[in-house]
Amino acid sequence: MQRDRVIQTAHVVANRRLCRDHYRLTFRLPMFPPARAGQFVHLSPERRLDDSPMESHDRWVSELDQPMLRRAFSIAGLRCTNTGVEVDVIYRVVGTATRWMESLRAGDPVSLLGPMGNSFPVSDRKPVAWLVAGGVGLPPMLWLAAALQETAKRVVAFCGAQTHDLLALTLDPTAQPDGSAKTATPSAKEFTKCGADVVISTDDGSLGFRGYVGSAMAAYHQANPVAADDLVVYTCGPEPMIRFVAEYCVARRIECYVCVERNMACGTGMCQSCVVPVRDTADSTGWSYRLCCTDGPIFEARNILWETPD
Amino acid sequence: MLPAMGGAPLETTTVDLSVDLAGLRLANPVMTASGTSGFGPEHAEYMDLRKLGAFVTKAVSPEARKGNPPERIVETRGGMLNAIGLANVGLERFVAEKIPFLQSAGIPVIVNVVGHSVEDYQTVCRRLDSIDCVAGLELNVSCPNVADGLEFGTDPQRLSKFVTAIRRDVHRAKLIVKLSPNVTDITETARAAIDGGADALSVINTLYGMAINVDTWKPILANRTGGLSGPAIKPVALYMVHRVYTKVAADLGVPIIGMGGITDWRDAVEFLLAGATAVAVGTALFVDPQAPIHICEGIAAYLNRRGLQSVRELIGKLK
Ligand SMILES: Cc1cc2nc3c(=O)[nH]c(=O)nc-3n(C[C@H](O)[C@H](O)[C@H](O)COP(=O)(O)OP(=O)(O)OC[C@H]3O[C@@H](n4cnc5c(N)ncnc54)[C@H](O)[C@@H]3O)c2cc1C
Ligand SMILES: Cc1cc2nc3c(=O)[nH]c(=O)nc-3n(C[C@H](O)[C@H](O)[C@H](O)COP(=O)(O)O)c2cc1C
Ligand code: FES
Repeated sequence: MQRDRVIQTAHVVANRRLCRDHYRLTFRLPMFPPARAGQFVHLSPERRLDDSPMESHDRWVSELDQPMLRRAFSIAGLRCTNTGVEVDVIYRVVGTATRWMESLRAGDPVSLLGPMGNSFPVSDRKPVAWLVAGGVGLPPMLWLAAALQETAKRVVAFCGAQTHDLLALTLDPTAQPDGSAKTATPSAKEFTKCGADVVISTDDGSLGFRGYVGSAMAAYHQANPVAADDLVVYTCGPEPMIRFVAEYCVARRIECYVCVERNMACGTGMCQSCVVPVRDTADSTGWSYRLCCTDGPIFEARNILWETPD
Repeated sequence: MLPAMGGAPLETTTVDLSVDLAGLRLANPVMTASGTSGFGPEHAEYMDLRKLGAFVTKAVSPEARKGNPPERIVETRGGMLNAIGLANVGLERFVAEKIPFLQSAGIPVIVNVVGHSVEDYQTVCRRLDSIDCVAGLELNVSCPNVADGLEFGTDPQRLSKFVTAIRRDVHRAKLIVKLSPNVTDITETARAAIDGGADALSVINTLYGMAINVDTWKPILANRTGGLSGPAIKPVALYMVHRVYTKVAADLGVPIIGMGGITDWRDAVEFLLAGATAVAVGTALFVDPQAPIHICEGIAAYLNRRGLQSVRELIGKLK
């Protein structure tokens, strides 16, 4: 069965710098299949594979500074407009693909495949939701915060970065708390407009809580106890960080969903490159691999094995 | 957006794209490369598989294999390294769960086979030779034999004996040997495979490679090393197809499936001119799962422009 998601040419609407190394890239598409928070788009430079005998010999690698494979980017926002659909992604410039993305200007075409992967489960059962984002784990949380707005949950977003100018948020200087992480405040516009409060942390203490965002969450939890049954935690970011949050939640029987990142070649389940080890009682060894691209990228914390068994 | 995906076979105007692969008729010369389009259903979500000349599966071994830990791939300049580790569900689940879909696909199916011993290969080949929709068995010989740690495909004498042993169990399906490029002289292993009874040769598998993270001083792939594929290897692959064709295969009438870095019709035409009867597309599918359709259409348009009637007029015509 062919899916409704297809490869499309998306056009850049804006590519705006948010802070050091972080940009928000907005695309326009004539149509986009229904999508939910947690899903990603798979991007690459637009390559014309049509039949033009006059084209350069080796179009795929003619631009050596462009990536060959697609890259996954969490959808950070999605809006229907009267000319189609606008999709936001937020990226940090770290390598080949993100350097290429930094060079994109309004009107430029890119090749976009999506929406891909599963999404964050959202249920009405839990009155409190915490979103814990480290570094470029922020983008899916922005869209999740917007989605949670409709559920009447009390939402707190924990946002961590290495240092203050790597926080891709619009900060309100009047609403900055003291750094104890004991209270959440309406300190970042992106979350405040969805009715969510924010706790900010930086590894170097240059803004908000000094330390990792997982520790900020733990400090907040201690000051603001909430029954495990009332709480759901969503997290995305570097592996050590999401692992800390996941293990913290599993130890306390708090429901927790993790957005996992892997190098992906295809994003479509064809290459088996993006495996995540998970508990699996149906397998004689007690575990098996799942694909980050089609079974994920969202996994339930208690199922993930953080060390691959031998 | 890509053209609408209709259900009809490829419309290719007046030219004849069909080729004869050791007695197996392919509607067109473009197939998938093993390991790059799963077992069919994954790829069928993005492309009408009936537009392929043949579908080649991921490797199948007697027992299920989980494969290597992540990271399993990394992009390198103009290509990528992979160390998937031949992850697959194993022979019996393959037959039960994957064959029904492949049967319904209505195109020739070639199953890629791996193992750690001659018996492993025999087990898989014997079983699959009895299943009608399996048109071909492609032996992945870039795999170490547990008995001595050496790859089946790198020593000509061992390879010849190995293929002879499997040939005895394969009566109906075409027996294809997929040659490793990691050898001193690929014409020797090509000749050995044909001596052993190969009906066709796949040229080439991936080249050994690695990538190192300079921050951590560790290899990027958990397996430390991997196989290089994609546009970066195309000149090497083309040269090897040319060598195998001119030195061995043309005289013996053994067809070659050429692969390595093919991304567009022009690449495919180069492989055909170098001596390939068919071509396989691997890494390019990751960027565009419909690449085989574009390649076929491109070949047809090229033949039209050149006033040629059939794609067979290109095979081995390098001047
Ligand atoms: C589901 C999912 C969602 C994602 N969402 C986002 C998102 O919202 N925003 C975002 O910014 N990213 C996101 N990513 C990551 C994204 O897909 C890219 O991997 C990332 O942006 C880096 O791509 P790149 O090509 O710029 O870097 P690459 O060139 O691929 O490099 C990545 C890192 O590896 C190192 N590296 C790569 N190759 C080598 C080598 N040969 N030797 C040494 N070091 C090397 C680089 O230095 C760099 O630090 C997501 C990934 C997944 C799987
Ligand atoms: C992710 C990946 C998995 C592969 N798995 C297999 C495999 O299971 N068996 C095999 O014979 N070749 C395998 N190959 C090799 C390809 O079939 C092909 O020979 C090689 O990639 C060169 O073609 P390409 O450059 O078009 O990818 C794999 C290649 C890739 C990239
Ligand atoms: S990226 Fe290919 S299977 Fe997930």
